[in-house]
Amino acid sequence: MSEELAAALRAEYAAIWAYGPIGVRLRGAAVDAARQAEAAHRSRRDALVLQLAAGGGTVPTGQAGYALPFPVTDQASALRLAVEIEERTGAYWRAALPVTTGAERSRVLAALTDCAVRATRWRRTAGMTPVTVAFPGRPG
Amino acid sequence: MLSGRTTQRHGTDGHSRRTVLRVGALVTLAGTGTALTGCDLFDGQPAPDPAPDPLAPLLSGALDLADRYAAAVAAAPELAGRLDPIAEAHRAHAAELARVIGTTPSGRPSGSPSGPPAGTPAQLLADLRTAEQQGRDAAVRACTEAPTERAALLGSIAAARATHLEALR
Repeated sequence: MSEELAAALRAEYAAIWAYGPIGVRLRGAAVDAARQAEAAHRSRRDALVLQLAAGGGTVPTGQAGYALPFPVTDQASALRLAVEIEERTGAYWRAALPVTTGAERSRVLAALTDCAVRATRWRRTAGMTPVTVAFPGRPG
Repeated sequence: MLSGRTTQRHGTDGHSRRTVLRVGALVTLAGTGTALTGCDLFDGQPAPDPAPDPLAPLLSGALDLADRYAAAVAAAPELAGRLDPIAEAHRAHAAELARVIGTTPSGRPSGSPSGPPAGTPAQLLADLRTAEQQGRDAAVRACTEAPTERAALLGSIAAARATHLEALR
């Protein structure tokens, strides 16, 4: 089992958890967007659990809770966290690209791309500019 | 002694020239008959250039995309806030691609558009979406086929182009 894919799975657990405190601070169309984002992360998580279990070895499990990088007290801080969650999760998927090939790499790239596109949507919702970064998922 | 050496050297040179002429004649004869054999052994051509890097088209494509965004901004300056960061990203991609290929990003694609494009801002954005979508497809293919050490960079470029499409909506 690839350590990079296991790390991506742990990131997906954290992202799913984070959309809880994010969702309760959002209003209007952003609530639906957060629900869809959480559902997408659950799909990635489920697919990864199956894939890693099929490969043998111990599949990482999620934690009961996670420390937020900053307090989420209103819509602005919730959107900021949503951007950060997508950026961080995308970075774990990017790190898994070199350890995969073929169809598996295509799935990893799709996951990285989804995170990057959601980060762009959240930046737009938050009024952040620019809404894109040059190298999604790249550290630093 | 001195003149003797000179004579000897002349003799050697003359022999070499004759040898060259004979080899030349052989190559000519071989060339008229079995061209491949003649070329392989004696043609004296410089070694062919190494095969172009598989990322060369992606590099020229990134420069072309950057030019398209710059041309759109020139035609519709009100789009600068949206388009300038994307043009900048394409240039950054080109610089990184040039680095891993081991070349400089100065070469311009021969087919790059010249002059500002015509059309309303909406038409300009639609044209950019078409070009960006093609660029995204190319980057996805490149990432999927890339060796290990290039996969992460190409993945970031493919993902960035997807976000550009989102920013153009």
